[in-house]
Amino acid sequence: MYYLTQLLGKPVVDAAGQTIGTISDIAISTGEVFPRVTSLAFLGPDKTPFMLSWRKFVDSVDEERVTLNTDRAGLRFSYIQPDEVLLHRDLLNKQIVDTQGMKVVRVNDLKLSESRNQLRLLGAEVGARSVLRALSPRLERFASRVARFFHAELPETVIAWNYMDLLERDLSSVRLSVTHKRLHELHPADVADVLEQLSPSQRAKVFEHLDNAQAADAISELEDAFQADVIDDLGSERASDILEMMDPDDAADIIGDLPYDKAEALLRLMGVDQSSTIRRLLGYKEKTAGGIMTPEVTTVTEEMTVQQVIELLRREAADNETIYYIYVVEDDSSLVGVVSLRDLVMSEPETTVRDIVHRDVFTAGVDDDQEDVAELMSKYDLLAVPVVDETGKLLGIVTVDDALDVLEEESAEDLALATGADRALDTTDAWGWLGRTSGWLTIWGVTGVCVALLLGRFAPTLRGLFAIVLFVPLVMRLAEEVSAHSLGMLIEAGDPAERPPLHRRLLVDLLVGLGIAAVSSLIVFGTLEALGEPRKAVLVVTAAVPVSVLAATIAGTLVPYIALGKDETSWRVPSSLLSAGFALLALAVYLGMAAYLTGVLGA
Amino acid sequence: MQPSTSRRNRILATLAVIGPGIIAASAGNDSGGISTYSAAGARYGYKMLWMMVVMTPAFMIIQEMAGRMGAVTGKGFSALIRERFGVRPTFLAMLLLLASNAACTVAEFAGVAAAMELFGVARYLSVPIAAAVVWLLVVRGSYRNVEKVLLGLSSVFIAYVISAFMAKPDWLAVSRAIVVPSVVPTSGFIAMAIGLTGTTIAPWMQFLVQSNIVDKGTTIKEWRVARLDVMVGALAANLVAMFIIITTGAVLHPAGIMVTSAKEAANALAPLAGHYATLLFAIGLLAASVLSAAVLPLTASYAICEAFGWESGLDRDWSEAPVFNGLYTVIIFGAAAVILIPGVNLISIMLVSQVVNGMMLPFLLIFMMLIINDRAIMGAHVNGPVHNILAWGTIVVAIALTVLLLGMTVLGVG
Repeated sequence: MYYLTQLLGKPVVDAAGQTIGTISDIAISTGEVFPRVTSLAFLGPDKTPFMLSWRKFVDSVDEERVTLNTDRAGLRFSYIQPDEVLLHRDLLNKQIVDTQGMKVVRVNDLKLSESRNQLRLLGAEVGARSVLRALSPRLERFASRVARFFHAELPETVIAWNYMDLLERDLSSVRLSVTHKRLHELHPADVADVLEQLSPSQRAKVFEHLDNAQAADAISELEDAFQADVIDDLGSERASDILEMMDPDDAADIIGDLPYDKAEALLRLMGVDQSSTIRRLLGYKEKTAGGIMTPEVTTVTEEMTVQQVIELLRREAADNETIYYIYVVEDDSSLVGVVSLRDLVMSEPETTVRDIVHRDVFTAGVDDDQEDVAELMSKYDLLAVPVVDETGKLLGIVTVDDALDVLEEESAEDLALATGADRALDTTDAWGWLGRTSGWLTIWGVTGVCVALLLGRFAPTLRGLFAIVLFVPLVMRLAEEVSAHSLGMLIEAGDPAERPPLHRRLLVDLLVGLGIAAVSSLIVFGTLEALGEPRKAVLVVTAAVPVSVLAATIAGTLVPYIALGKDETSWRVPSSLLSAGFALLALAVYLGMAAYLTGVLGA
Repeated sequence: MQPSTSRRNRILATLAVIGPGIIAASAGNDSGGISTYSAAGARYGYKMLWMMVVMTPAFMIIQEMAGRMGAVTGKGFSALIRERFGVRPTFLAMLLLLASNAACTVAEFAGVAAAMELFGVARYLSVPIAAAVVWLLVVRGSYRNVEKVLLGLSSVFIAYVISAFMAKPDWLAVSRAIVVPSVVPTSGFIAMAIGLTGTTIAPWMQFLVQSNIVDKGTTIKEWRVARLDVMVGALAANLVAMFIIITTGAVLHPAGIMVTSAKEAANALAPLAGHYATLLFAIGLLAASVLSAAVLPLTASYAICEAFGWESGLDRDWSEAPVFNGLYTVIIFGAAAVILIPGVNLISIMLVSQVVNGMMLPFLLIFMMLIINDRAIMGAHVNGPVHNILAWGTIVVAIALTVLLLGMTVLGVG
């Protein structure tokens, strides 16, 4: 096993034992899963670069040197071939895409292995271990020994050649193995994942390799925040071509986010049909049925036969988002009913639509809230819902994929309500983790310092100080728990109208708080008595704990209730922060009470 | 789309490339900078103004080179160092950057504490709140929102301009001092000159301006406008610095009051220039400190993650970019916690941060020169001969001053 960072700079020795230069790079052929090393690049005297065929001239390789099979006079130098990749120049220290893990990573080292006198590339190392090795092999050995002491392995993260896509070097002219995955060959959703990790200029390079259809798919899969950016960075011609290939509702969403000038320019470059469709969609309000619908819908009239309808579908509806439902309209395009593909397939070809149409159709008004539409579809298991204006004219349909997006968005909003996080779609765990660990740790740290400072001021004796400090965590923990519970109840209630009235909530929470306070003061009293604390300190703390918990309970009910107000979506403070605030409030009350009582009782 | 939004969008589109340079340069006028400038004015009056004039083009050239590297390569400075020089030099550079940024962040929170104490708020209240605000700003904001807030904060620097006018300086003397170089031949003066250079051209500003350019996706085609932003930012920052020197030079110098920190300067202003001058000075200090306390930890996190290939970016959450988020969180709250340790010597913390900055600067500038003259990286956009002469000149002076500063610090002179 060899590592490139260890080989670089090692001497190249000819058959006569003469050192003729130092290793500067190693080239591989690109067609295999574990590519063969094909050439050796080295720096001769005066840093003159040379290249040799590995197969012809290299006799052996070990950790200290590369030995050639002939003396200097017998060497024939060669040049880099177009399909060769240089490990140092093209890979080491560079960013690559790991097309298996869908990640952008930086190569720290390259791992080579020798089998039957042939050196092959095993893969690129990207983990922390390879950083340590590149810093110093000794550091790596030390770290792995430490890890072993704790019965852990320092893992190596190796990415094989067939899962690498280079960002810097264009591999399109290079022969790759059949299994080699390049970024643009991945599923559009995966491409989108990687694109979000790249810098704008790297993104532009990737887009050079995607054809318009792939680009359209990938952009549709990007998160909203990136879509407009990406389109904005593309040339206008290309951007308008790509937008034309997207579903009009998706395209309208993106165009709506662009600066006015750019949006106009793109719309003008598009075909008349496309641009007028998108313009019409842009006219509808966001977050309504009109905003998410697609106007591409197959319509038929009642007089048509099943045969005619199927022919129409074959002819015209190939590009439509869904053909499962076919809508029946009158001449002025007002909606009459719907036939499903199932109805058509099950009926005789001569049957007229009039005989099989379902006239009782779920419809959505163009200004209906998108969430209501999505819930309607989810409740009745619909694949699409027709959108009509106030006169009953069919304007378009909302398809199930858009409805799923809405539901996801809404659940993210609900989550944001709980955590205050805006972009919290798939971050439940992350935010929870953040709130519970690092945020808390820092608050604890800062609080600890403050408390220590304050206590120095008023604590009468060291014994009394101990009693007070002992219950600081309990007070803060309880306050956090109680307020989190209270906020949770509010969110669960959802709609402001369904929330219980304030006085009832206060009463309930007060009772709960009193219960907790009573239990906690019992615990405090018992503990301190058992520890044999001075009587005064026991009294002070036993009184201060329940009061502070009660204060936090009341604040925990009142503050969210008032702050939440009528519009729940305006709530944007992370609940973890809020709980922290209540905990600090409780702490302040606790310490204040303790200080006051200590004074009253006389130190 | 209503006409009002469309007009706004058009303005936004034009302003799209504005920002990185102004923010980067304004962040340089942090609490350490304000302290140094105040002290310079109080001690030597207007005599150091001409140095700021001389330093401005040097500062602009260095910022311009950093920005240009970003626009051409689409990569941050630390990524370029990594790709050009390998792991070991990168590790050293990142260690220094982390140390310097962490030390500077501590100094920023010291600035927050000082400014709020001028308003009568105890640091045990103001610093935790400031830390939470800064952290939330960074965590919750998208890059664009953060940038807007930061741009807003940097406009507060106008406070210094106003307080300079309220100090009623002798403008004739000021303009003479700007044009005519004068030197006081004492070691104290030289030390002050070095301090000025160190705070004006801080190494992390180059990381910051370059990563902002990359983040915005500015390409070399848009570089003409972006360069203007970078240059104007450098110019504006140095102008603000000059107004600070003018303020303390007009008020404190004639009265013979020496100050060592921004807080002392602000307090010293009150009896001489009125309470409002102090107030403005304090507001400026607060804005500067908060701005830099937000920017510095971010800069370090961006640079380090980019160098080692860890995911980074304000749009990444904790599970996606743990190191990035962890780094700035630790720096922000760690720095704030240091301030809360009773009896901690804030002046020596600022001094340490300046020394670390000074040690880094020559390394980084040489890295920068090697990269920006490498045709394999910069293509046709390598430095021209004039540019190179100016830049190397700046570097030689910076190195000479730094060596001098280190020597003097070690020997305890000045």
